[in-house]
Amino acid sequence: MTVKMEASAGGIPHDTVMAYGLIGSLVGIYLTYLNVLSGTEIFSFFGGLAAIAALVWGANTIKHLCSYGLGTGVPSAGMIALGSGAIAMIFASRYGMLAPIVAVIVAGILGAIVGFVSNKIVNMNIPVMERSLTELSIVGAMSLMGFTAMLGGTFIFDEMVAGTSTFLGFVFADYGMSIIGGSTLAVTFMLAAIALQHPFNACLGPGEQQDRTLMLGAECGFLSMIPIALMSFAFISFASAVIALLVSVAGWCWTYVQFIELSKRDAYAWLDAKPIHEPKGGE
Amino acid sequence: MENILFGIGITAVAGALATIAGAAEDTESDIGSQGDPNSQVQLAPQMGFIHRIYNKAISGEPPAYGLWCAIGAGVAWAFMAVQVNAILAIILGSLVATLVQGAYATTAYLGRTASLANFEQPVYIDLIRSVTTVTMAHAFVAIFTTVAMCYLMNTALGHPFPLPLLALVWGIALGAAGSATGNPFYGKERQYQEQPFGAGVSISASGTIVRYGEAGQRSSLDNGWFTSKMGGPASGICFGLIVFFELWRTVIFEHMAGGWGAVIVGVVLIFIFMALDRYIEVWARKTFGPYAKPEEAEATA
Amino acid sequence: MSALGGAAGGSEGFSSPIGVGVGVLLILVSLGMAYYFGQMATVIALIGIIVGGLLIGFGVHFVPVGGAPAAMGQSPGIATGVAMLAAGAGLAGLFGGAWAAEFGFAIALAAGAVGGALMMAITCFMVNVVYIFAMGVPSASGKVDKDPITGDTFPEYKSQGTEGHGLPFVSYVGGVVGGMMGGLGGTLIYIELLYVYEGVLPVMLDAGVEEIMPLAVSLAGIFAIGMFLVNAVIAAYNIGGTIEGPHDPKFARWPRAVIGAAVASAVCGIAAIMLVMV
Repeated sequence: MTVKMEASAGGIPHDTVMAYGLIGSLVGIYLTYLNVLSGTEIFSFFGGLAAIAALVWGANTIKHLCSYGLGTGVPSAGMIALGSGAIAMIFASRYGMLAPIVAVIVAGILGAIVGFVSNKIVNMNIPVMERSLTELSIVGAMSLMGFTAMLGGTFIFDEMVAGTSTFLGFVFADYGMSIIGGSTLAVTFMLAAIALQHPFNACLGPGEQQDRTLMLGAECGFLSMIPIALMSFAFISFASAVIALLVSVAGWCWTYVQFIELSKRDAYAWLDAKPIHEPKGGE
Repeated sequence: MENILFGIGITAVAGALATIAGAAEDTESDIGSQGDPNSQVQLAPQMGFIHRIYNKAISGEPPAYGLWCAIGAGVAWAFMAVQVNAILAIILGSLVATLVQGAYATTAYLGRTASLANFEQPVYIDLIRSVTTVTMAHAFVAIFTTVAMCYLMNTALGHPFPLPLLALVWGIALGAAGSATGNPFYGKERQYQEQPFGAGVSISASGTIVRYGEAGQRSSLDNGWFTSKMGGPASGICFGLIVFFELWRTVIFEHMAGGWGAVIVGVVLIFIFMALDRYIEVWARKTFGPYAKPEEAEATA
Repeated sequence: MSALGGAAGGSEGFSSPIGVGVGVLLILVSLGMAYYFGQMATVIALIGIIVGGLLIGFGVHFVPVGGAPAAMGQSPGIATGVAMLAAGAGLAGLFGGAWAAEFGFAIALAAGAVGGALMMAITCFMVNVVYIFAMGVPSASGKVDKDPITGDTFPEYKSQGTEGHGLPFVSYVGGVVGGMMGGLGGTLIYIELLYVYEGVLPVMLDAGVEEIMPLAVSLAGIFAIGMFLVNAVIAAYNIGGTIEGPHDPKFARWPRAVIGAAVASAVCGIAAIMLVMV
C-alpha cells in the first residue's frame, strides 16, 4: 500500500556535503557583511547563495533521515527543521557580528534536543535521528538567516526591526515597515521550509539519484531567491535589488535546465505526446 | 451601527472570496494530483499500470498553500511599501506566487517520474505543457482570493497580524480544508472510478487507477473537469464557511457579554454543526443500510 | 502525504526512563534560566508556553487523520497529513485568539480554542458530507466495533476489503476537541510571548508600546507558529502519521508526546524569551 522509500547509495559522501554546506553558508552570510564595510547594499544577494548551500546540504540530510520510515510525510521534516531553526536564528541575530556562528550553535542545541525527544521520549528509535534533526535545525537557521540577509541586507536584529514609512513627503521611523514588523520573515520561513523538503520529496523513488536531488535543491534555492529579490525592493536600494533579481533569475534558469537534463538522463523514456506505454509482460 | 454594517459587508466579501479560493484550490490540487491521492499516482506504475497522470508531489497541500499565499502576500506587502496601488500589488504578488508554483509543479513531475524509471514509466513531456498551465491558472485564482481576503481582514477589520503572517495562517488553513474535503472525492470517485459506488476501495485494488478515458487516454485535465463538479465546490463551501463564521461571530458579537459574545456564539455554532453531522451520519446508516448480512453482523458485533 | 512514510514510525512501549529524566532536567534548567535572566513573571510566561506546547501535542492525538488510505475510502478519518491538519486548525484558532487579545487573557484563550474547534467542526462536517453524499459511504471505524459515544455498531457497515471509512461521531468529537486544544495551545504560546515582548521591547528600543506593537505581534506570531509546527510534528511522529481519534489504541501513546512536547516547548520557549532578555 505504501510507497517504498528508497534512497540511492553512492555519490558524494554525506559528510562532504555537510562540510561544504556549513562552510558555504557561513561564508555566504559573512559576505553580506561587506554591505556594512563598503556602505552599500550590493552584496545582499550573497545571503541567498548562503541559503542555497545550506539547502543543498539539508536536502541530503533529509534523504538520509527519510530513508527510515518516519510514519509521516517528508514535508514534516522540513517543518520541524524550520520551526526550531527560526527560533534559533532570530535569537542569534541579537549577537551582531557573531550572529551566524551563534545561530549554528543555538540551532544545533535546539535540534539535538528535538532529536533526543523524538528518539528517546517518543521512542522513534531511528539511529540517525539526533544527528539529522541537529543538522536540519542548523540548515533551517542558516537558510533563514541567508534569505533574511538577502531580503534586508543585514542579519542583525536592531537593523531588522528598523523601518521607515513616508507620509506627505516626510520620512517616519515605523517598526511596522521593518523585516520583522512586517512579518516578511513568515515568507522566508515558508520559502525555506518547502525548498528544504522539496528536493527529496520530489525525487523519491527507486531511481533517485543524488546529483539530481541536489541539483533540484539548488534549483529550489534559486527559485526561492526570486520572490525574496522582489520583496527586497522595499528594503534595499533599487540597484542592489535589481542585481539580486538578476542573480536569482540567472541561477534559476541554469539550475532548472540542468535539472531537466538530469531528469532526461534518468527517465525511462522522454516522450512527447505519445500514448500510454504498456510494459512487456504486463497486462 | 455603521461600523457593524461595514463589518458585515467585509465579512460577506471575505466569505465569498474564501469560497472561490477553496473551490479553486481543490480543483488545482486534483488536476495536479497533489495531496494524498498522489500516493496512488505514484503507486500505479509500480503495479504495472503506466499512466499519463500528472504527479505534482510538492508537499501536503497545507504547507504548499501556506507558501503560495505567503509569497503572494509578502510580495504584495513589499510592493505596497514602495507605494504601489494595493490591488495591483496583490495581483503582482499572486502572479509571482503562481510562477513559483508552476516551477515547483514541473520539477515535482519530472523528479518523481524520472525516479520511476525501473517500472518503465516514461516522462510525457507534453503533460508539462498542457497541465501545468491549467494548475497555475487555478492556483492564481486561489492565491489571489486568499491574499485579497487577508488584505481585507488586515485593513478593513483591523486584525493585528501583518499581511504576510495572515496569509501564511489562512493559506495553511485553506490547504487543510481543501485537502480534507476534496481528497476523498478525487481519490475514490475519480482515480478508482471503475470500483463499485457506495463502498470503499478494497485494499487489494490499490494501484489499479483508471488510466483510459471515455475516448482515448485519461489526462489530468479530465480529473479537474470531474472534481470541479463536487469536490471543488464542497471544499469551497468548507473554507467559505470557516472564514465567514470566524469573522461573522467576531465582528457582530465581539463586544457583547463583556467580550464573551463571540466565544458563546462560536460554541453554539460548533454544536449546530455537530448536530448536523450526527443527522447525516444516522441518515446514511438508515438509507444505505449495512453491507454485510445480518447473521454475520451479529457474529462480529 | 502520509502515505510515503512506510509502515514504521512510532513504536509501542513507554519512553525510556533516562529519556524522561533528561527531559525533566531540561525543563527545570529552562525554568531556572527564565528565573535567572528575568523574574517570576518570566517563569510564569515560560510555564504558559510549556502548557501551550503540551496542549498542542496532546490535541494532535484527538484529530482523526487517515492519510492516503482515507482518500480511497480504505480507512476512516480525514484524508490529509495529521501535523498539517492540526496546524490548519490551530492557526485558525491563533487567528481568533490574536484578534481577541485586546479583551484580556481569558477571552483571548477562549476565542483561540473556539476558533480552532469551529474550523474542525466545519471541516469534519464537510468531510462527512463528501463521504456520504458524494461517495455513498456510511461511517465505520476500523479499530473498534462500537462507537463509544453513540453506541453505533460498525462491522456490518464496513465495505469489503477496507479498514472502515468515513468519520464516525467519536472521531468527529475527537476532531473538535483536537482543534480546540490546538487553538488553545497556540494562542497560549502567542499571548505569553506577546506579554513578554510588550513589556521588554519598549525599554530595549526606547519606544512607546504602541510603536513596537507590530514587532511584538510579528515576533510572537512567528514564534508561536514555529513552536506549533515543532510540537505538532513530534506528536505526528508519536502516532506514526495516522490515528482515528480518542478511541484508537494508538491514543494510549499520548504521554510520550506530551512529555516530548513539554521538553521541546521549554527549550524553544526559553530561546524565544531570552531573545529580549539578554
